[in-house]
Amino acid sequence: MKHLLEIENLSVSFDTSQGKLHAVRNVSFTLEEGQVLAIIGESGCGKSVLCRSIMKLLPPSARIHSGKILVKGQDIAGCGEQEMKRLRGRLFSMVFQDPMTALNPVMPIGKQIGEAVRIHNPKMDRTAVRERVLELMELVGIPCPDKKYKLYPCHFSGGMRQRSVLAIALASDPDLLFADEPTTALDVTIQAQILDLIRDLQQKLHMAMILVSHDLGVVARAADQVAVMYAGKIVEIGTAEEIFYDPRHPYTWGLMMAHPSFAKEGEELSAIPGMPPSLLNLPAGDAFACRNPYALAIDYKEEPPMFRITDTHYAATWLLDERAPEVRSPIGGHRYG
Amino acid sequence: MGKMLLEVKNLVYEFHLNRRIKIRAVDDLSFHIEEGEVFGLVGESGSGKSTAARCVMNLYRHQGGTISYKGISITDPKEYRKNKKMLCTKRQIIFQDSSSSLNQRMKVADIIAEPMAISHMTPPRKTFRKEAEFQLRYVGMDASCLDKYPWELSGGMRQRVAIARALAMEPEFLAADEPVASLDVSIQAQILNLFKHLQKEHGFTFLFIAHDLSVVRYLCDRAGVMYRGKMVETAPVRELFDNPLHPYTKALVSAIPVPDPVLERKRKLLVFDEESFRPEGRLQEVDRGHFVLKND
Repeated sequence: MKHLLEIENLSVSFDTSQGKLHAVRNVSFTLEEGQVLAIIGESGCGKSVLCRSIMKLLPPSARIHSGKILVKGQDIAGCGEQEMKRLRGRLFSMVFQDPMTALNPVMPIGKQIGEAVRIHNPKMDRTAVRERVLELMELVGIPCPDKKYKLYPCHFSGGMRQRSVLAIALASDPDLLFADEPTTALDVTIQAQILDLIRDLQQKLHMAMILVSHDLGVVARAADQVAVMYAGKIVEIGTAEEIFYDPRHPYTWGLMMAHPSFAKEGEELSAIPGMPPSLLNLPAGDAFACRNPYALAIDYKEEPPMFRITDTHYAATWLLDERAPEVRSPIGGHRYG
Repeated sequence: MGKMLLEVKNLVYEFHLNRRIKIRAVDDLSFHIEEGEVFGLVGESGSGKSTAARCVMNLYRHQGGTISYKGISITDPKEYRKNKKMLCTKRQIIFQDSSSSLNQRMKVADIIAEPMAISHMTPPRKTFRKEAEFQLRYVGMDASCLDKYPWELSGGMRQRVAIARALAMEPEFLAADEPVASLDVSIQAQILNLFKHLQKEHGFTFLFIAHDLSVVRYLCDRAGVMYRGKMVETAPVRELFDNPLHPYTKALVSAIPVPDPVLERKRKLLVFDEESFRPEGRLQEVDRGHFVLKND
């Protein structure tokens, strides 16, 4: 069976005045049709760059060094811009973090969605485009679409704007939707609504999704698979249940324990000390070692390979080596309900 | 019951967009904060949380109602002028966006020492620089940052500088306007720990504004929920989250994401019907310390 998306040893770097910046290092994963993969990690870990490099939307200073990007078995890593233009939209679509900057403020919403429809179906006539736009607006839950058709983004609330952005993203019927922090700019109550909408649509249209987020609650609600990224590498990947109930990497533990809802009454939150490293000159060995309370001597010398835990669950930490001392996870392990 | 530090009564603030249109950002808002208490203010964006905080700090001129701080009516210009020095030094505010609240052209040491210089304070540790260094260490940064500019620091560090600047005045009352909103989970945890630690050490009184409810639950003693400029419910935090009474609070509490896939997917969302919101009515006490906006 062919995977919808298969990434093999992808490495992306940026040429900067201070040298090479390794934003994505040796990333591999696969994504099946109709699945949701969430990528979590602190800012500056290369989450967005990874998404953009799959869509080939990187600035000119970026270079894909090595690796393959297989979409339905076809390698697109070497494709030129002309070919990518055809593939983008049909295969991929994207929802951005801030709906206000993603929309054109001086163009009615209906026209903006229509623009996306027309680009993908140039032969469609005007009434058909309008029909399709109304259908899309209905789909993303904008009430009375024919009344909202002529309104401008400034007349819409944050949630409605994000719905319109979603309608534009869905105009081309993509197989894979990238959602880069789709709910960060929204209020809590709206956030959950939009998330449920995205999840519903994803299942209804049977499309795969890559969700970038730093909110563990968002990830828990929407994801089938979770990849934890640190310093440009995927350090742990598994199904949502595996990551949340049986995390193995100390960084995943740290991320979870830093969440206020895990704090016990009257106790301090356990923050991860320090900051993520600069991707310009990474230390030798495991990049997380200097912030890791469980670091072993070997962590400072050699980078850990991916250790297999189950068929779907992998983690890159020396703690999983058979020679390592046994460390009990400070979190997870309990399954509710 | 502790001593009342801040009391806000029927506060009103309107923004005039033009001659005809005005927006009532804060509408008949009343709450109080006791000494040594962490009071959280939550609500969606545009509900008037920040406006209320700015009125409390005298950054906006109130347009109705009264605010009293330690029994001094700060909304009365005469009394405010008389106590201006105390009010300006003992109350401090930390803003949400640390990149725009720190002067880009000043070094960290000067930023932290500036409020002391303005209020002609003699620094307890001899020089301004020593004082800045002390405050910087206190918030968990080392002295090598003293000669850096804000843009050389990361978001979490800048927020610490903003906190250090507020702490340099040894305030009694600290208003924090979404201080962790733009930070990562791990950095957010560092800053929240710092707040908790400071509060324990100094017994500050805090007005903590946030839209992330799990943060409020972790840090605050008591919280108020705002909706369209109105306070709809105030209660001790635990009571508020375990037993929300106002329909808006119920919807808000039901929307807190839980980092647990099984629980999270089972969680049902309550939707608050905006049409059903009736701004008239007043806060009524239903349980000890638990007030809800009710129509008679």
